[in-house]
Amino acid sequence: MTMWERERMQSPRPASPLFWRLNPTVYHLLGSKCSDCGHITYPQTKICHKCGSFNQKDHQLPKTGKVHTFCINWTPPPGLEPPTVNVIVDLDGGGRYVGLITEVANPEEVKIGTKVEMVLRRLLNDSGLDFYGYKFRLVEEA
Amino acid sequence: MSVRGKVAIIGVGLIPFGELFHKGLESMIQEAFMSCVKSVDKGFDPKDIKAAWFGQWSGGGMIGQGSREGTTLGTVLGLRGIPISRLENGCPTGNDVFRNAVLGVASGAYDVVLALGAEKMRDKPGVESLVAAGGGAGGGILGLHPSWMMGMGGPVLQALYATRQMHELGCTMEDFARVAVKNHHNGVACPYAEYRFEVTVERVLSSPVVCWPLHLLDCCPQTDGAACAIVCRADLAKKYTDKPVYVLGSATGVDYKDMWDKENFIEMPATKFAAKMAMDMAGIKPEDVDLAEVHDCFTNTELLNIEDIGFCKKGEAHKLLKEGYWNREDGHKPINPSGGLKAHGHPIAATGLGQICENFWQLREQIEPVRQVKLKKGIALSHNVGGNGFGVSSVNIIGREP
Amino acid sequence: MIGIIGYGAYVPKYRIKQQDAAIPWGGWAMGEKAVCGWDEDIISMAAEALDNAVKHSGVKAADVGALYMGTASSPMIETHLSPVLAETLNLSPHASVLDFMGSVNAVGTALSQCMMAVEAKRIDCGIVVGTENRMVGPGSDGEVSFGAAAVAMVIGNQGTIADIEGVQSYRTLFLDRWRAAKDPWVSNLFDQRFYRDDGYAKHIEEASKAVMAKINKKTADYKLAIFPQVDARVPAGAGKALGMKNVFPDLTGAIGDVGGVSPFLCLTGALDQAKPGERLLVASYGSGTATAFSIVANEAIEKKRGRTTTLEKYIARKTYVDYPAYLRLMGNLRRVPY
Repeated sequence: MTMWERERMQSPRPASPLFWRLNPTVYHLLGSKCSDCGHITYPQTKICHKCGSFNQKDHQLPKTGKVHTFCINWTPPPGLEPPTVNVIVDLDGGGRYVGLITEVANPEEVKIGTKVEMVLRRLLNDSGLDFYGYKFRLVEEA
Repeated sequence: MSVRGKVAIIGVGLIPFGELFHKGLESMIQEAFMSCVKSVDKGFDPKDIKAAWFGQWSGGGMIGQGSREGTTLGTVLGLRGIPISRLENGCPTGNDVFRNAVLGVASGAYDVVLALGAEKMRDKPGVESLVAAGGGAGGGILGLHPSWMMGMGGPVLQALYATRQMHELGCTMEDFARVAVKNHHNGVACPYAEYRFEVTVERVLSSPVVCWPLHLLDCCPQTDGAACAIVCRADLAKKYTDKPVYVLGSATGVDYKDMWDKENFIEMPATKFAAKMAMDMAGIKPEDVDLAEVHDCFTNTELLNIEDIGFCKKGEAHKLLKEGYWNREDGHKPINPSGGLKAHGHPIAATGLGQICENFWQLREQIEPVRQVKLKKGIALSHNVGGNGFGVSSVNIIGREP
Repeated sequence: MIGIIGYGAYVPKYRIKQQDAAIPWGGWAMGEKAVCGWDEDIISMAAEALDNAVKHSGVKAADVGALYMGTASSPMIETHLSPVLAETLNLSPHASVLDFMGSVNAVGTALSQCMMAVEAKRIDCGIVVGTENRMVGPGSDGEVSFGAAAVAMVIGNQGTIADIEGVQSYRTLFLDRWRAAKDPWVSNLFDQRFYRDDGYAKHIEEASKAVMAKINKKTADYKLAIFPQVDARVPAGAGKALGMKNVFPDLTGAIGDVGGVSPFLCLTGALDQAKPGERLLVASYGSGTATAFSIVANEAIEKKRGRTTTLEKYIARKTYVDYPAYLRLMGNLRRVPY
């Protein structure tokens, strides 16, 4: 086995059932909102993660929000270009999303409270196949 | 059900932690077990062990030899024929294995049982073992969609907390560095510690930034190691030793596994749950604890957990640290006299049991005088937190009196 | 009348000075070009252009009957990539979704086919998206000049802001560039002037004349001609052959040659400025086929302005990368995995 083949064997498979069944959740950003306690869970759930209630309604996550916390990773795993800025975002109207900032020119631009918006980005490439998902881009103030 | 007074530790075994390239999982297990058996004051026949719990977290992911069931332990220790379960519960695996062993005895099912944790973290190169440990480019490796766990390794998870600690609690990077200074100082005196060198605040802050705001010397190492403890019915303990150490409280708590569910990033509810349950079980308060081994996979984590266990109010740990409150020699409540994960090392499933070994020796006052903690009530606590989103924690409280 | 209901552009933030890619191989070039970032590719670019187009149009995802993606940059021989885009827009599973590939005329073809579907009343409205980040090898002409960008247009009969009066194509068996299934990169041009005169200019002229003849218009009726911008001079030459002086200002010095996306990306720039009644001649060309469109802005065009990020703004935001970074971005320089 060459090292290239080895690399290929060890990576996740884009054609797997996992990715297929999660496609709607990932691309449509569908979460759940608890009818009893109001907790927003993403991805979708049948039981509230916070209070255990079975009364869950579909909740469409918005694509905008503000940085709740962040870090600047100078040692990201293979496949990512340092530095990556990991963020947890308070989405407008409730709910959180964990992700990466894209188009990082100067990581110091990212602060707690910075306005961000989701954009579709390639997350991984494997065997010439790509995984996509949302990352955050800083909102340029007009 | 309370376990207090029902279970005693009669012997512990630990091997020096480190990058043990020359030792396989099997030999580490055997060495820890042999030193444990030999440590029992009045002698111990391994045939007395009626059940065992085997802590092993990395499984096939790092060792590349398939999963590790109870068979591994039963075979290499010559303990075939007894019930042995493998247990994996994130970074608290060691303390949780101990808890399960304690429950095995407290339930009345077994008289004498073994809790053993062993981990081979460094059979793969650094980057690869970190990826296997959950820092993968995507969560595909973890069975999660990469959308949600993209590039989220241990340093990232903790740095996300650290940023918030700095923002809300007024901690600084110097405060984080002081944790490393304290724990490295403690580690120098511990013959089992992986890192036995002093560091200064300046050295920590001038080490490379791994994940801002955390520097290289804010992070614990990836360590190979094994540790174990033999526990038995309290009323049988004197048969094996005149100085048994008793289990007072033992609990595991879980919180949300996902970062996006968390209410805030200045506390670890899993730790709060576990510490509260264990202390209620023991019937003690945080001030009754003489010394504690607290999870410090990253320096900021120790500060969070000191507060969440209840040793001080939220936002006070870093101030007390500056005053030397948590120091081993002159502190009011020594935290991580062994050096902690930071200096002693972090072989996941062996970590918690290593903490219990340290607490056992401290309570029996059988270690080098230089690192012996002054005892007041003779109670020690060990704690781990970890797993996805740092959502699982285990706490064990042991004491000289039942 | 069938027309454009909304449109959207996207140009990545990253730029390389074209000379940085030329000098290491003994060449020289002026200007700069747009480059996909580390986490960008034809799909992520298309997604943002689509997002802009849908926002601009005001059309609901449920009403979209087709999504046609045109690109010469697809890495895929089997399996389509447009379903990823359909998923991001949450289109009906019954919507017709297809990749048009194999030529930088693919976007023009996709638009033409989408018009047919609307005109045949198979669908009420469809979306055409063009996206290019062509595969170029080290030292090739394309490595110096090919840029990255995407464009999307929502096509239908209701709520248009510009109407498409006619479309005609012109084809000969003409080979200029190619990339076979086993080729990692697109070929260099066989001959620059042969391509320019007998390929590009000839085919665009014939297609343009055909569409004008079909709808009884003369060159004097057109405010502006928009031709694929392969470099700073070639479009003007094609305009001259048709007797049209006013061609869309050159963008190749800013974003490079963005292949099949180019004429339609320029069209969004033109529509951003266009007044009602202004008539535009738009032609695309690739691999021996040109497709020409006659487009006239209508009264509604001013109402939808300001809804999305414009081409001008996308071009203005930029960060530079150097040549080694560009090589890595294009997959032409790879780290040994072990």
